[in-house]
Formats: sequence, C-alpha cells, structure tokens
Amino acid sequence: MPLERGTSMGLPCAAIIKIWSLSVDFIPCHKHQLIRKTVREFAENEIKPRVSELDREAEFPFDIIEKMKPLNYFGLQVPRELGGADLDTISYAIVVEEISRVSAAIGLCVTVHNSVGIYPIMKFGTQEQQQRFVPAMAAGESIGAFCLTEANAGSDAGGVETSAQKTGDEYVINGTKIFVTNGGVCGTILVFAVTEGERDLANVFIVEKERPGFSVGEIEDLCGMRANPVSSLFFEDCRVPVDNLLGKTGQGLKIGLNALDAGRIGIAAQALGIAQAAFEDSVSYARERQQFNKPLAKFQTIQNYLAEMATRIDASRLLLYRAAAVKDSGKSFSAEASMAKLHCSATAREVTDLAVQIHGGYGYSKEYDVERYFRDAKVTEIYEGTSEIQKMVIARHILNQPS
Amino acid sequence: MFKIIVCIKQVPMVSELPWDSKTGTLKRELAQGMMDPASRRALEAALQIKEDRDDTHITVISMGPAMAREILYEAKALGADTGVLLSDRRMAGADTFLTSFILAEYIKKECPDFDLLLCGSQTSDSETAQVGPQLAGELLIPAMGYVQSIELANGMVRVQRHVDDFMEVLEMDLPGLLTIDQAAFGPRYVALEGIERAFQTDDICVVNAEDLGLDKNFNALKDSPTRIIDVYSPATRKENLVLKGAVKKVVGQLFDDYGKIISGAMGKDLKTHEHEGAK
Repeated sequence: MPLERGTSMGLPCAAIIKIWSLSVDFIPCHKHQLIRKTVREFAENEIKPRVSELDREAEFPFDIIEKMKPLNYFGLQVPRELGGADLDTISYAIVVEEISRVSAAIGLCVTVHNSVGIYPIMKFGTQEQQQRFVPAMAAGESIGAFCLTEANAGSDAGGVETSAQKTGDEYVINGTKIFVTNGGVCGTILVFAVTEGERDLANVFIVEKERPGFSVGEIEDLCGMRANPVSSLFFEDCRVPVDNLLGKTGQGLKIGLNALDAGRIGIAAQALGIAQAAFEDSVSYARERQQFNKPLAKFQTIQNYLAEMATRIDASRLLLYRAAAVKDSGKSFSAEASMAKLHCSATAREVTDLAVQIHGGYGYSKEYDVERYFRDAKVTEIYEGTSEIQKMVIARHILNQPS
Repeated sequence: MFKIIVCIKQVPMVSELPWDSKTGTLKRELAQGMMDPASRRALEAALQIKEDRDDTHITVISMGPAMAREILYEAKALGADTGVLLSDRRMAGADTFLTSFILAEYIKKECPDFDLLLCGSQTSDSETAQVGPQLAGELLIPAMGYVQSIELANGMVRVQRHVDDFMEVLEMDLPGLLTIDQAAFGPRYVALEGIERAFQTDDICVVNAEDLGLDKNFNALKDSPTRIIDVYSPATRKENLVLKGAVKKVVGQLFDDYGKIISGAMGKDLKTHEHEGAK
C-alpha cells in the first residue's frame, strides 16, 4: 500500500498534533506524536486540576509522582535493562515540554532528576554504580538532585568550598549547598566538592540521603516553581565510600559541565512548555474578551503580540529539537544546548510577560494561570547556567573555531 | 494460549473537531485522530486478562486509512502483541454491515482459532453499536453487549452487566464476542517504555482487499446497503442563566434543574439532593 510522505519510521505523517495554529512538521515521527499525546493526556487529566493549589500551598504532589512512576517519567533515557524507557532526546524534550506546559514545577522535578541526576551516572559512572543507583532512580523511588551552587559559588564553579577529604576508603564531605532543586525530596544526590591535596581536585560524589551527616534545610520560599521543594542541603562529616566517587578523581568539572549541557536541554524544554501554555491561554482569552464591542483578537496590537509570541516559540522549539538531535548523534552539543536554553528561557520570559499584558488586570490576578507562568518563567533564565553564562559558552565555541 | 482479538477504531479527536461554521459540517481531513474511547476500554479489558494469564496473546485489528496505524502503535505500546490494519480504497466508505463483513473475512482467514473477541460498545464518532453484534453474526459465535466485568472459566466466560436498575450475571461459551460498556474498564495511561518498544519494530501488518480475497468488483462505498445522507451540527442555542440567593439553595436548584446534564457531560453518576434524601 503506498504510504504518504516518507519519514524516518517509514510511516505516513498525516496527523501531527496541533500544538498551536501552525503544525510543527519538524517532528515527522509518529513516535514523537504519540509521546506528546500521551504525556499531554496525563498532564491535563492528573496534574492540571491541582496545579493552582500546588503553587499556592507550595506543595510537592507525592500522589501525582506516584502515578508517574509506572509510566517511566523518572527513567526517560535510562536503558530498559535498568528499568527505563530508553527514549531519544527529542522524546525527552517533548515529555518535559508537555509536563511543564501544565506544571513547570513538576516539569522541573522530572527534568532535573533525569538530566543532572541520572545522566551523569549513566555517562561517567561505572557499571557497578549504574546497577547500584539507577534502577531505584528510574523507578522514581529515589529522586535525583545535583548540587553545585553554594553561598559563594554558582556561575563560578571554582568558588566551591564544600570539601571532600579522603580518609582510608572513605571520603568525608563537609559543606552547605543552596537552591537545590528537588532538595526536599531527593534520595540520590550528586555533590560537587573539592578534595584538597598537592593540587585541589574537583570531584562529584553520589550521596544517598540515608548517609549520616546529610540533612535537608528549609524549603525555599521562591517566586515561582513553588511546588518544587527547592532547599539547602547540609553535609556535616558525611562519609561515603570511595565507590561513591563518580568518574575519576579530578574529573568533577568535566562531569559538572557535561551534566549541565544535558540539563540545559531539559530547562529549555521546560521554558518552552511555560511559553506554550501562556501563548495558548492568550489566544483563547483574546478571542473571548470583548472591549469596545469587539474581541481583543480583532485589534491589530493584540494580533501583533500573538504573532510575535508564536514566532518566538516556534524558533525556540526548532533550536531545542536541534540541540536534542545533535546530542543523539553523539557529537558535542554544548553550544547547541546553550543556544536552545538561552533562547527558550528568553522566550518564556517575553511570552509570559505579553500574556499577562493581554490578560490585563485579570492577568495580574491569581484567578488566571498566566501570573503563575510569569513567575515560573523568570528562573529559567537563571538556573542551569544564567543567560550570561550561556552567552559565554556560545562565544567560547565561536572563538575556538579556527578562523 | 488464550487468544484475544480486539477491534479498535480511529476517531476524530473530540476536543479538536474542526467544524465548518458556515456549512455546519465536520472538516474530517483536518481532524486529529485518536483511539475511540470505547475501543480503548475493550483493549483495557484484554490487557487486564493478559495481566492475569501469562499465556494470553492480544491481536488488535483496525479498519481505516493508513493514518489509523497510529492507534495500532498505541495499542502495542499499551501491551497488545500484534497489530493489523485493514486498509484499502475499496474498503473506504463501508457501513457497519460491510465493516463487520470485512473484519470477519480477515478473522476467518488469519486468526480463526481465537478464544475471545472484544469490541467497544459504540464508537464516539457514529455511535451505532452495530459492528460488534454484526461481527458475531458473521462469525456465527455468541455475543453479549455492554459488559462491565469479565471472569474466565473453562471454555466459557462469566460477565456482569448493568440492565436498567439490575446487575445481570451471564455465562457464555467461548469462542464468543463481548462489547465493553462505556463505564467499565477505565483505560490506563501509556507508559513511555511501551511507546519506545512499540516503535522499535515496524511490524504493523497491513492487509488490502486483494490480500483478503475480496471480489475484484468489491467497492464498499457502492456496495454498502445503508448510506449516510447528511451529518450536521444541530444549531445550538446558548442562554446565560444567573441563579441568585443563598449558596445552598442555589446549588440545590442547580442540581435539581441540571443534574442530569452535568452528570451526562462528566460521565459520572452524580448523587443529587433527591437521591441522598431518599437514602
């Protein structure tokens, strides 16, 4: 039987889920369509009814997380033998985008867990470490967190003061990490620390929450992402066996940068989901809301806003999927990920800003979702590398090319 | 081996139905496809049987255009073992009579040794509820409709179904056909691992009219004994109603006047004031 337009799967692509007024034909694969549809259905049925309340009460939804576990949301790219879904990176981005379209805070939990939680263990961990840590993480039984940021270190990873001294076959970790996403609920923590010696070496350790000396600080009272228990983590003479050192000694910076590259694709997807939600709400509000006896959508100013939002979102999505495709090809995707993250997060901020503007007074009210999008969007320009850091990464990539 | 066949259909996504507001007709070519909700319940019934018995094999069959492969992949992602698409221009436009005929031809030819055949009670796009029973007629097997629970015993099946205000318990010999009630077997979500697995092998079996051995002059559109003359959206009238007064009174009034409509729209049986009062 003759098929219509051929694709990578040898499948026809007559039906592309409409994600706004234009079809995104960029993803020609039925698998990606089915993933989007599946995740959207879950998010709209299970998360959406609770999302305002979770934000208002700053509550982490354990019951929703419980429903996500058997559907592989916590092992997106983990190989099947370790209990994951073995997805490609575009699929991963779609999952994060669709969850974040409904709840950016739960999207954040998922992306941080999968990218900076699991990915470094899969990339740099020994087989023994993968067997030991990943199955529980992929099953969602142990939520992952990655902690680099400290009071005096963030963008500048060199300022890390948390120390890990080797004594016998153990490392003793001391220090305080702040603004740790998933901090309040994490089970497996990747800790960035410095081991002093002839030369100071940056290392990353895998710490289980049961280790004595580990404790969780208060949950931060943040502007957005309120359903995610972002917190400080304390390490006071916290001992871990040498087997918990990730990668080789001194590889910390490399692991950190690699983790952040992967993390940036996730944050870009999250920002895109927020922008998408703000845009969709704006379109329907512009159609409904009447002023001067006609719907807002009839005013050219509003049309210009909508056109601008749609174009920015579309451009962001293309950059994101490009970065994901490059990652899957096995090539270095650092600059692509930074570009995607830079552009998606700026888009999220700009689009949510316009969405509030279109909604007028109602947009500033908690009665509507757009004020939440507006609060949630801002931090996407800050974490997983600020926009300024993304530009440094991109510029370094440009200037390192032979002239 | 316990062999189950589930017949599923792709229908337009209700939330995205693009109606032509001028003509009042559905722009089918623009509609997004999804697995008919009733088909999904039939598949769920099969999956629950498979969870209980390891030796279960589920074949899903759909008839439709090439695009209907999507729902076969979805069924495989959920746990079906084999997906079959009956697709041919000459099958297009079949009414329920010829649809049952074509499905039966395939089943007789390729999987005549099935134990249980499951269908949704009625599809969301045409709601005829005819294909299931007609298919049983074509295959000369017993059938029961609107089933809410299934229990397998030696060579037979025991089912429950809701009839008026009673629950009916029935037994039927196998092989046989059941249609699944719209309120039973709430479907599960697709696990992402299942999607990745379903797409790993491009093995949806596509069968055309010739493969089925249909007459070379067979043309479903012309040969269908029933014809749809028109499909249109009846003009709806919107009215705003403001209920004033104490909350308790207003809510009571809302349920008294509109309880049936609300419960119908939600697909849930809402307990109204009267019912609670009666208890």
